[in-house]
Amino acid sequence: MRFRAKIVDVACLNHFTRVINTIAKLAKTCTLRLTVDKLYFILTDKVANGGVSMWCELSQGNFFDEFQMEGVAAEYNEIYLELTPENLSRALKTAQNAKTVKIKLTNKHCPCLTVAVELPSLSSSSRIVTHDIPVGVIPRRLWNDFREPSVPDFDVSIYLPVLKTMKSVVERMKNLSNCIMLEANLNGEMNLKIETDLVSVTTHFKGLGNPPWVSEDGSQNSTQDRDPESMAEARIDIRKLLQLLAGQQVNPTKALCNIVSKRIVHFILLHEEVSLQYFIPALA
Amino acid sequence: DEFWFDPNEKGLALRSVNSSRSAYACVFFSSMFFQHYCWTAEPELCQKKRQLSLTCKLVMKSVLPVFRCLNTLERNVEKCNIYTNGNDCHITFKLFCKHGIVKTHNLAFHESEPLQAVFSRHVCPNVLKIQSRLLTDIMIHFPTCQEEVTVAVTPMKVCFKSYTEEEIDFSKAMHTKIHLNPDEFDYFQIGVDSEVTFCLKELRGLLAFAEATSGTVSIHFDVPGKPIAFSIEDMMVEASFVLATLADIENRESSQQSLCLSQKQKSPQATSSTCPALELPAGEASPPPMQPQLTMPPVLWAVGSEYFICTKTHFIKYCIFQFHSLFFGAVSFKEQDVISHTLHSLATASDAEDDFDNEQLSQVV
Repeated sequence: MRFRAKIVDVACLNHFTRVINTIAKLAKTCTLRLTVDKLYFILTDKVANGGVSMWCELSQGNFFDEFQMEGVAAEYNEIYLELTPENLSRALKTAQNAKTVKIKLTNKHCPCLTVAVELPSLSSSSRIVTHDIPVGVIPRRLWNDFREPSVPDFDVSIYLPVLKTMKSVVERMKNLSNCIMLEANLNGEMNLKIETDLVSVTTHFKGLGNPPWVSEDGSQNSTQDRDPESMAEARIDIRKLLQLLAGQQVNPTKALCNIVSKRIVHFILLHEEVSLQYFIPALA
Repeated sequence: DEFWFDPNEKGLALRSVNSSRSAYACVFFSSMFFQHYCWTAEPELCQKKRQLSLTCKLVMKSVLPVFRCLNTLERNVEKCNIYTNGNDCHITFKLFCKHGIVKTHNLAFHESEPLQAVFSRHVCPNVLKIQSRLLTDIMIHFPTCQEEVTVAVTPMKVCFKSYTEEEIDFSKAMHTKIHLNPDEFDYFQIGVDSEVTFCLKELRGLLAFAEATSGTVSIHFDVPGKPIAFSIEDMMVEASFVLATLADIENRESSQQSLCLSQKQKSPQATSSTCPALELPAGEASPPPMQPQLTMPPVLWAVGSEYFICTKTHFIKYCIFQFHSLFFGAVSFKEQDVISHTLHSLATASDAEDDFDNEQLSQVV
């Protein structure tokens, strides 16, 4: 198992750091899956996470100048690591003006992801800062736990409002209630509702638009038969929603959510080279 | 928690020691730092050949509120007088602010000889001098929660690395190492290869001060177990932090050495045999004190055991920042909030006679 990668471009480093920062805000520990051309940050829906799951995919070519990966075996040319993204975030934080950043898998007392930052210095040779981040190697027999989640059979799919606005609304609602009702219809309307004994607050968003989904056989899926005014709703933990919204460091190019009534909300955020999927289960 | 106000002929020294006695700080302001500096010894003490200096031990928490909001102070304070009235054990800080507002703080003190680190920089085989900017740039790579840091040197290279006790969380903690080239240092002398581990947290105060002064930081150290000293000197101020280091890990156990500290006894006494002679970063021979400028009514120049110091605003800013960064550094945010509550009770425009004997006792802990 070998892994070496290098970032040389400042903009790529910056972008990569922002992705890591977003992941760090969403998960305390997660799985990093390395393949020949992609990196994945995966969080599976365990009870410990509150049933939340995450799937973030990046194309390595968009960030790394050099990328060499040799998996556990020839037919299984991938590496799965368990890591704390906060450590990676901290290591990259002070590296923003680096000449190069190298990331490699090493074994020092325990398996580590070593981040080696080459910084400019006044003397003839550069200053090198290395951070050894301990990781866990996930054995092949457990790889099945980390498969890409399929898009659920949703009732409504809708584009999200401007995330900044949505975030400030949800932030204020968080002070009043622990759970929020998210509902939307095929007419581009979405409501965020909280209800307590004393007060109920609803924020209405209109004109959001609904993304067209084409199912595998080429025909439009069953949502076409649905009454466009009818709302699909799910009551979710407000803190999980806020974690997702607050963690975004860059405005995504596309942001949408799929609602399975009373079951789950599936968020998809697309940036140029990064896609993030986040699943929040509905509360009982 | 405590610190000593130790004035002498040459200037004012401020000293402090941490509760575990593993870190000692001393900042010396030469008399030139002040607009006016006047120090007189008590005549009776001179006759009896006892110590000439009056040293005041104050509670940190009572002094810090006086200099708390750096920005406000910079904008509002025009002058600050610090003086004692020998007979009643108070130091008075009088801040002359804009619009004719005068804030007077009377703080009680105990007379006590300060603890001073028994440490001689001159015998240290390893000496490094580095621009303060660079030192901050290096330390920034360690997370703020990092307690201990090791500096490993050979004549060819220098490395700062994070330290974690083995067995504990070794597989969970992130390790950071910074390799430096000797040419990055203004002065690089390594007499003995060594790896010393010290507490970074205790140093943060000095680092903040170093950033503000942009001077050169000198690092003196020896083998593990012997203290490491970080110091900054410029014409008028010298700051020095002496930190204990972990002793050698021969039997896989390391112990934080306490600093060898001593208090000057009233009669000269031999210090412990394991410690080298008492030596502190002493002020350089200072030029004759500035001529007094009569800015205060004559009554305050009175006689005997008084000493009277005036400072100008921009100097006090320097001084405050030091107080702040050097002595405030280890105080947690919770404590800061507490201190802000007490600030309101301390700030009074009063006549000097007002007695605030209970001041120290009434501090919110």
